[in-house]
Amino acid sequence: MHWIDWLIMAGTLGGIVLYGVYHTRNVSNVQSYLLGDRDLRWWTIGLSVMATQASAITFLSTPGQAYESGMGFAQFYFGLPLAMVFLSIFVLPVYYRLKVYTAYEYLEGRFDLKTRTLTAILFLIQRGLAAGITIYAPAIVLSTILEWHLNLTILAIGVLVIFYTVLGGTKAVSVTQKQQMIVILLGMFIAAILVVDKLPEGVGFTDALGIAGKLDKLNVVDFTFDPSNRYTFWSGLLGGVFLFMSYFGTDQSQVQRYLSGRSLSESRLGLLFNGIIKVPMQFLILFVGILVYVFFLFVQPPVHFNSANLAIVKSQPATAEQLAALEMRYDTVFSEKREATRQLVTQMRNENEAGITQSVASIQSLQQADNVIREEVKQLINTASDGKAKQRDTDYVFITYVIEYLPIGLVGLILAVIFSAAMSSTSSELNALATTSVIDIYKRSVKKDATDEHYLKASRILTIVWGGIALFFALYADLFENLIQAVNMIGSVLYGSILGIFMVAFFQKKVGGNAVFIAALIAQTIVSILFVLDQKEIFPIGYLWLNPIGCLLVMVLAQGIQMGMKKEVA
Amino acid sequence: MKNHIQEEAPDASEAPPFLQSWNQLYALVLILHALVIFLFYWFTHAYA
Repeated sequence: MHWIDWLIMAGTLGGIVLYGVYHTRNVSNVQSYLLGDRDLRWWTIGLSVMATQASAITFLSTPGQAYESGMGFAQFYFGLPLAMVFLSIFVLPVYYRLKVYTAYEYLEGRFDLKTRTLTAILFLIQRGLAAGITIYAPAIVLSTILEWHLNLTILAIGVLVIFYTVLGGTKAVSVTQKQQMIVILLGMFIAAILVVDKLPEGVGFTDALGIAGKLDKLNVVDFTFDPSNRYTFWSGLLGGVFLFMSYFGTDQSQVQRYLSGRSLSESRLGLLFNGIIKVPMQFLILFVGILVYVFFLFVQPPVHFNSANLAIVKSQPATAEQLAALEMRYDTVFSEKREATRQLVTQMRNENEAGITQSVASIQSLQQADNVIREEVKQLINTASDGKAKQRDTDYVFITYVIEYLPIGLVGLILAVIFSAAMSSTSSELNALATTSVIDIYKRSVKKDATDEHYLKASRILTIVWGGIALFFALYADLFENLIQAVNMIGSVLYGSILGIFMVAFFQKKVGGNAVFIAALIAQTIVSILFVLDQKEIFPIGYLWLNPIGCLLVMVLAQGIQMGMKKEVA
Repeated sequence: MKNHIQEEAPDASEAPPFLQSWNQLYALVLILHALVIFLFYWFTHAYA
């Protein structure tokens, strides 16, 4: 990497951290530390909420996902604006009126201490482990690309985040996230423009759109109602609205972002801003992936995008020889595919439908041959690494393009985007973990009447502790592959039931703590069984549907149990 | 048990900085979202 890229990357990241530290140098009490003096304006809240959700892996994986499967993933976010409106109407006013620090505080007033503590502990377990993955997942990709040691990459991200989060608390998180999100949006926008600029001579933007469209890559909206299909209009709108109501309404890493607003209006505007911007932003990121896909139809990509995996194969004579043979076949297939793509451009310009159909069939046939070779390379990687190396390489598509083809300066900016995204989501997580630990556990159940100074100190110590846990987990994550899968599973399985508990709290006024507690346990068991049946392909169901199922089960069961309990008493 | 929904009714007294009421602002967000989905639908079919 050129020294100018290093300078831009380090300057951008260092500048943001220093800005955050400078702006939060006067934090001196626990309210200021955990709620940021409640003085943030709506644009800071909106950008902070977006930055919390957008992790580094979002910017690495999403373009790769578009490259492989098209634009359908955009539908995942279709429920988000509806969730923002719902939360603005029903949830934010309650949190503001009660002046809570955490979402779980509300549950004690509505139900009881055990429901509050249980929900807080579930959050701490899930988010505590997830914070490690938030650092670990992008660090694997970045360390491969930058040829850094993995542990050094993890420490570079983790130590910087812990440093400014410990010093400035929630305000440091929000003000740095504002800068980070500006860098992210700017970087992705420039990347999109430059991909178009990098297309071969004679191939314009509309040609690129035409090629992608004819090859079924621009399939943004799918109205078919198929529960086993992961991303459709219906799963995104109905399943997504429950997922996002749960994530933004009950996950402390998000709740804390908007609770630091100057007023209820500022927080509402922040969420609504997120509701307007988020879907087009995801579209842009996916669209960059599509443009990279078209670019690689004209410029030959590597046979496998993870260079570290190829190095393993090349290090052993037997597999190296087989790889060389596969690469020769790959070269031939690519040359033919490039020619067929050029033919397609010509036919589209001539509006020759028969010619277009023929070219598309030819490209698709060559794409299949290409896929067969890529699969064979993955088998070689598996053999050469004794099954240890991950064969999936879609996370490396966009970053490979950035490193290999973008001009000096922009490489540094895009790397700053990815590091910024890793830091912004991790800082929110650490901040929320410390807040929940102090407010819902330590102050509520361990040490009730200490001084403000004591709780401030406890908040800082717990931020370091959670940062240490996240770093430890990230450093040793390769030993816990099964645990990583478990964490991801917990995330997608728990949200529905947690939302159900909050929905009962808000809307089913006659249901008490015991009924909702039992209902949540039953609902969670059913959702977990459905998830396992899906994983084993016995009963395929898109995971977004688990959110409404879990939520509605809790609501219906809680109502039934409460009625049963009343009859029993009578 | 507290009746939270009635006690914590949305603060209607404070108008949003844009438009005249929060309901209008919510409607705007939803209309913009519908427009975005329509554009995506058009985009899907225009280049298919």
